[in-house]
Amino acid sequence: MYYSMLALMVVAGCAPKRAPMPVFGERRVVGSDIVYHTIAPFQFVDQDSTPVTNATVAGKVYVADFFFTSCRTICPVMKTQMLRVYHATEGMDDVLLLSHTIDPEYDTVALLRDFAARLGVESKRWRFVTGAKDSIYKIAQTSYFATAMEDQSEPDGFIHSGLFLLLDRQQRIRGKYDGTREEEVNKLIADIKYLRAQPHDY
Amino acid sequence: MIIRGVVFLLCFALALACSQHDTKTRQYLARGEALYLAHCSNCHQQDGSGLGLVYPPVNTSDYIDKNFESVICLMRNGVKGTMTVNGQLYNQPMPGMPQLTELELAQVATFLYNKWGRKRGIVETAEARQALSRCDSLTANAH
Repeated sequence: MYYSMLALMVVAGCAPKRAPMPVFGERRVVGSDIVYHTIAPFQFVDQDSTPVTNATVAGKVYVADFFFTSCRTICPVMKTQMLRVYHATEGMDDVLLLSHTIDPEYDTVALLRDFAARLGVESKRWRFVTGAKDSIYKIAQTSYFATAMEDQSEPDGFIHSGLFLLLDRQQRIRGKYDGTREEEVNKLIADIKYLRAQPHDY
Repeated sequence: MIIRGVVFLLCFALALACSQHDTKTRQYLARGEALYLAHCSNCHQQDGSGLGLVYPPVNTSDYIDKNFESVICLMRNGVKGTMTVNGQLYNQPMPGMPQLTELELAQVATFLYNKWGRKRGIVETAEARQALSRCDSLTANAH
């Protein structure tokens, strides 16, 4: 009995504190402040034709990814996994999912609206956005550090990564996850819950 | 008493028959499952449940139950437009897989038609070939 109590105390006492979440990207020192990499200004429209800008995600914890509806390789798996995130964050009004199409010519607002409806998701929690192709590729590559470009030698005509990116309330990247792997997405779900429990300036 | 004995024997024979897929059928099932996981499960999921109303299920599916030849054709040629599965309307284009041979299509079909409660038995290459020869007339009548 004594030993088991001791063992419990040791385990509890030594349980590693969660390491602080990283902040990805470049950082600059301005005066005495560190300025972190954030998402550059953007303006897209979602499946309801509602504009989506930096203001839409400000003050929210959000998950971003890049996909297209006609993709048959990794996107269906990504959408299956993102749907898990959607269900796991039910009732969390401060959490948003933001899926960017990288094929805006085909993925029109009407098509994204149909796609979202077919997944059975609400636009206020999961926004599917489209916009100028160059702006989408640029924000993918320079703000989210995700690969997204056209490549006619690929089966579907695009190459892109299956990354899910976790952003904090100040639009800083706090996590990168392989959106095609269930165990990575489990970690993302845990990190979302952790991040939203932290102070605003965490 | 005699009836009971006969029923027992029948059950026994049936169980024996079902448990003893011949080697060829077992090969088709195994190869078909591998092909399913490589080419189909991305969208239709490993458990065949599909995804929302985007990708239709293939586990419980009246479409698959009723359209054997069309299923083989759409695996090779793809399919576009609306499709009703279990009373629900789907409208996501499916790309074809022209790289799959008749043998491979027969193997996927063997897997599909002996999984999730289906018990069709082996789908021979000749059946796949026969279905493929009729794709044009099938598409004309589809949906």
